[in-house]
Amino acid sequence: MITLGSQGKNTFLEDVNVKSGANVLECYQCGKCVSTCPVSQYMDFPPREIMQMIKLGLRNECYMANSHWFCLTCSACSGRCPREIDIPAVMEAVRHLAIDQNYVNDSKKVKEIRKFHEIFLDMIKRYGRNYELRMMAEFNIRTRNLFKDMHLAPKALLKGKIPLGVKPLKSAKAIKRMFAIAEKLEKNK
Amino acid sequence: MARVGVFVCFCGANIADYVDVPQVVEEVKRIKEVKFATEYKYMCSDPGQGMIRDAIVQYKLTSIVVAACSPRMHEKTFRKALSDAGMNPYLLEVANIREHSSWVHQKNKKAATDKAMDLCRMAVAKSIANEQLHEISVPVTKRALVIGGGIAGIQAALDIADARIPVVLVERSPSIGGKMAQLDETFPTLDCAQCILTPKMVDVASHPYIELIPYSEVIELQGFVGNYKVKIRKKASYVNFKTCTGCGACWQKCPVKVPNEYNMGIDKRKAIYTPFPQAVPNKPVIDAEHCTMLLKGKCGICAKVCDKGSIDYTMQDEIIEREIGAVVVATGYDMWDPKPYEEYGVGRFKDIITSLEFERMVSANGPTNGLPLRPSDGKVPKNVVFIKCVGSRDEAKGIEYCSKICCMYTTKHTILLHHKVHGSHAYVFYMDIRAAGKGYEEFVKKAQVDTGTTYLRGRVSKIYKKGDKLMVRGEDAQIGQVVEVEADLVVLATAVSAPKDNPDLARLLGISYDKYGYLSEAHPKLRPVETAKAGIFLAGCTQAPKDIPETVSQASACAAKVCGLFAGDTMKKDPMISTINNEYCSGCQNCLNVCPYGAIVTDDVPVGHGSKDLRTVAKINEGVCQGCGSCVAICRSMAINLAGFTDPQIINEIVSI
Repeated sequence: MITLGSQGKNTFLEDVNVKSGANVLECYQCGKCVSTCPVSQYMDFPPREIMQMIKLGLRNECYMANSHWFCLTCSACSGRCPREIDIPAVMEAVRHLAIDQNYVNDSKKVKEIRKFHEIFLDMIKRYGRNYELRMMAEFNIRTRNLFKDMHLAPKALLKGKIPLGVKPLKSAKAIKRMFAIAEKLEKNK
Repeated sequence: MARVGVFVCFCGANIADYVDVPQVVEEVKRIKEVKFATEYKYMCSDPGQGMIRDAIVQYKLTSIVVAACSPRMHEKTFRKALSDAGMNPYLLEVANIREHSSWVHQKNKKAATDKAMDLCRMAVAKSIANEQLHEISVPVTKRALVIGGGIAGIQAALDIADARIPVVLVERSPSIGGKMAQLDETFPTLDCAQCILTPKMVDVASHPYIELIPYSEVIELQGFVGNYKVKIRKKASYVNFKTCTGCGACWQKCPVKVPNEYNMGIDKRKAIYTPFPQAVPNKPVIDAEHCTMLLKGKCGICAKVCDKGSIDYTMQDEIIEREIGAVVVATGYDMWDPKPYEEYGVGRFKDIITSLEFERMVSANGPTNGLPLRPSDGKVPKNVVFIKCVGSRDEAKGIEYCSKICCMYTTKHTILLHHKVHGSHAYVFYMDIRAAGKGYEEFVKKAQVDTGTTYLRGRVSKIYKKGDKLMVRGEDAQIGQVVEVEADLVVLATAVSAPKDNPDLARLLGISYDKYGYLSEAHPKLRPVETAKAGIFLAGCTQAPKDIPETVSQASACAAKVCGLFAGDTMKKDPMISTINNEYCSGCQNCLNVCPYGAIVTDDVPVGHGSKDLRTVAKINEGVCQGCGSCVAICRSMAINLAGFTDPQIINEIVSI
């Protein structure tokens, strides 16, 4: 049972709106996002319900959901939203708020997704671009699942989908500087 | 000897594809009375009509049969063709071989042809017994009666009067204005209701063509379209309106306090009162049920303070009669009483109010100076829950239909709450948001996005008390979970219901009403303002729930109908009405009971030729009879015939097949 009206102002809605730049109140619950989303069936709460939960100020329930972690930010939902709400931005905002406030769904799946994001960013930081082979290897090692998707490797290698080496970008240094600035900003926050 | 001409139409391919038209023509030619028969591609076209005109003259025809489409389509066209050829137009018969044969028997050409031949034979046989009939001319009294002085009645009266047709406007309460006068602002533009209504009220009072009879009721209507006589009971007001200046000394001094109906009983009025400051007429009346002078003969303060001597405790009800030609019924609606909603604690919890009560509170001239207050402790509420569909769409406790206006007025209320109480939050429990209207959806968006009203999709299941708060429990179907809202005030959007006196009024006027008590229109789509009784029209919520723009449109439509009715000095009417043969009439009066129009009265005629003894027979009022034939069917002595459908005509038809 959810109790409303006793918490006073809906600060969660304000936080999400400020962070995402969208206005969640615009949502009129048509559900077009849900039927558009390629991963909505894997989410605890599909995007429409997340929007309603934000409107009701259900902060903790929203943080604990896995929906914003599953979101691919493919923007199919916002492309079709009749109220033109930037739903991926809302999902991103919830993701950030959840991390900031140390309030994250700790299911295995979400952990894996977070690791994936971390490794991906690490690759960018190192090479200025993605190095698929190393990324896969690291992901499999860090998630302790060495042979995951290994059967796909030969085929992918033959087709040239997994280059064996990586050629760092010329601007890799600039990207490193960007990371440094971002980390500094994060610390000073 | 009758000489019948038959004209069979192909209707392009509509008839010809499925009915063998030449065969039909050959068949009817075999009837001995048929002196001429032919076929044509489009009988309704000019050349087609020309064939009829020519044949009438050439073959000296005495009646005409056109086998074509439904008489509803072209009966008038062909009647005119007969008139143009110098023949009585009612000697025409139409055999409907399109809707009744070709269209419905497309798979079987032979059967369709056989049926078309049967229909033609019947029409020929009937036409042989056709008689010359003549349009009935009825004189018209050019004065209209408008019943009810809400926005519907006001608009209808003003529009009719602007066409320089005198109007009698009868209002039951002491002032015109109706429900709209109780509203604060109106959706979706948030115009102040009083500001747009009161100028119209003043126009009514000062219009040279409007006779305003307030504090009165219609008690009898007799006659027929164009010639009604109405009796109006003018309730004793105990105040002489001619001398009263409306100074207000009387009600200021009156010691008796009574719950104020205008403010939904939230505050008190006096026993002598004007309903609200902008009342029209702005003259007080004495409420006889509460005045101590009238009840016990003691007090009399109002008479003492009135320096015009306008108070008259001996005044009696007065019956006024007026002759009128048309009636506009605009009796409005009642708010549904939410008492059956026991699970909401209606009646137990003080802080549950109805929407009209909320409306009065937020109204600038209301009992709380425009601020919503909790009835229990007079505090300003922060969290307000609005519950929609209370009584509407509820077959168990309320009414089946959607009341149409609640979605929008609730939206308006959430915006008004936001304007009036800073830091307040509105929650709306709803089943659907029905915002079909100009600017309505945008208005709902304004509430949801700009005002931040929280909409929760679900019906409230129960309300209970927790401290001084009310806990409102319902599902939010958007997330599939039960929610409870801690509310300071709960507002019920109660349904619109038909005025409880509507059935009595309908019987009095001789019009019909539906199972809810709303007055019935003649056709739900194509005749939405007329009733089945000629000369009586409907405006506003008395017909069905509707909002102000729709009500005003319908009222203006009524005015157009009344003006159309009064356009000539006399009215023309089809002669297809019942006639009574006094020789056969036994005076059983069964026909009186079945006539839906009240067109039959009793008459006394001599028992025999030259006799002084009288006996009762039925008598048809030509102006009222619509020719439905109910009386013909019920008459056990076969004394009633319907012109154009007499017994010989019908029997001829039956014998012919």
